[in-house]
Amino acid sequence: MTSSFPGPAGPAAGADGHAGEDLLAGYAAGTVDGVAVWSVEAHLTGCARCRSALSAHVDAERLAGNRSVLLVRAALPEGGRVRRLLCRCGVPDHLLRLLVATPSLRRSWLLSVAGVLAVVAGEAAAVTHGWLGTGGRMVPPGYLDPGILAPFLLVAPLLVLAGVAAAFLPMFDPAYRLAVAAPFSGVTLLLVRTVSALAAALVPVVAAAFVLPGPGWLPAALLLPSLALCAFALAAATVTDPRAAAVTAAALWALPVLLASAHVPLLMVQRNAQFVCAAVLCASAVVLFLRYDRFDIGWTR
Amino acid sequence: MTLNVRTAAVRAEGLSRRYGATRALDDVSLTLDRGITGLLGPNGAGKTTLLSILATVNEPDAGQVSVFGLDPRDAAERPEIRRRLGYLPQELGYHRHFTVAGFLDYVAILKEITDRRRRAEEVARVLAALGLERRARTRIRALSGGLRQRLGIAQALLGRPDLLILDEPTAGLDPEQRLRFRELLSGLPGDPVIVLSTHQADDIAAICPHVVVLLQGQVHFTGTPAELAATAAGRVWAACERDARAHLSWRGGDNRWRHIGDNPPAGAELVAPTVEDGYLLLSHAAGAR
Repeated sequence: MTSSFPGPAGPAAGADGHAGEDLLAGYAAGTVDGVAVWSVEAHLTGCARCRSALSAHVDAERLAGNRSVLLVRAALPEGGRVRRLLCRCGVPDHLLRLLVATPSLRRSWLLSVAGVLAVVAGEAAAVTHGWLGTGGRMVPPGYLDPGILAPFLLVAPLLVLAGVAAAFLPMFDPAYRLAVAAPFSGVTLLLVRTVSALAAALVPVVAAAFVLPGPGWLPAALLLPSLALCAFALAAATVTDPRAAAVTAAALWALPVLLASAHVPLLMVQRNAQFVCAAVLCASAVVLFLRYDRFDIGWTR
Repeated sequence: MTLNVRTAAVRAEGLSRRYGATRALDDVSLTLDRGITGLLGPNGAGKTTLLSILATVNEPDAGQVSVFGLDPRDAAERPEIRRRLGYLPQELGYHRHFTVAGFLDYVAILKEITDRRRRAEEVARVLAALGLERRARTRIRALSGGLRQRLGIAQALLGRPDLLILDEPTAGLDPEQRLRFRELLSGLPGDPVIVLSTHQADDIAAICPHVVVLLQGQVHFTGTPAELAATAAGRVWAACERDARAHLSWRGGDNRWRHIGDNPPAGAELVAPTVEDGYLLLSHAAGAR
């Protein structure tokens, strides 16, 4: 057998053309260069004697360690297409793994959101097209009665708020105490989760607003109230119980919408209300900036 | 307990904590050094509150804590304490859809082990330490109570913590698992500070060189298990009949009555006290106040 190993006359090779003991030891320890590694591996595939000789040089403990690591990696779920896509876009793997514990990113939650939106948006579309009764109001088919958008306007920002609340309320995280006692920044964890939940909820809400009959600015007009509600809930959570903060935010949205629905159904997405929402968003952002360390302390007291 | 207060790894001074009208901790001061300290006390004694304060997830109403010279109230120092901490809460919640390996991987990320390779090594290490390798793919909801407790201990060991706080770690473990747990704790490298709470006096006697007895939110004893047992010296008796004057009495496996009290019953034989006897006497004295 001719020597297949690098160097003049294959200095690392044995006299009989097989891999020498020093070369095998270096290969097992990972100390030989790339060319030698390639040569050894090419030789090993066809040489049982050298494979057997190699086993004497292998560090059994290191091998067992590598095997355990491979088993652990194999036991970890790889995630779906969205996760692979985000990984390719450069989102760190460990941040994506943290999202696994966010209930509002689970399929069941997102399906529920889609279901609720389908009901309220479907009803509005059906009434507009004359497929459903109008509850006694005289509305000719094809004519847009702003009142039919009221349920959607009430529910859509609340769905976004619910998604964000589920991402940061301790009651939705069974391992919350561990997260608080861990060094990973509570603010970072909060941001990763809430921004993901916000995006996941906003997509179906805005999509539903697009397909609804109504003013063309409706999808854009829903963004500000949704963001303001979520920011308010987070800011309020820095000064009070987080559940109370989320419930207060929901009430502050629902009450005006319900009260105005009889007279000015689109009030909350009109200019003045948008200004109010922008002010709430800015004020909440300031509070969050000043009190962000509250999220590092946690709410386990 | 012969600890040097100035050099102690963990120091608590004058801790008080109330929950409404309930006083969970009342002016608690203690020091913890390298090695295992057992925290013994009945339900409601304040053990969980004390451990959660040491683990930086709770704050005292009054008093101070220092962990490795760092102040948990300081936002800049708190993360450094948490980097060196392993914590098993009394009621550890699990994401039920997680697998064992997935849960440990999640906790490892929370412990800032972000490199995939290193994380997998750490998870593999603690899985092996707790004998859970074959359960790596098992969903947590399919685990028995004992296995979940082992998983809880495993997550606390991630990152090789310098301070290990274990709240009721042996709850739910069978006798063999408890022995393995003792072996595991005794063999941890690096001589970490370990504090564990338990109801099991025999756990304390077996593995803890230091004992703190917490009763009604106050520290009633600090010392070695032998010193705790010695507090009952001359006050533990064995007799064939029950003595109503004893503080506590129960029938043992040998069918004889074991009495703890100040007055020996007629025909009673003085016996060597155990850690449990010392603890029961302390507990009785605190309840009588």
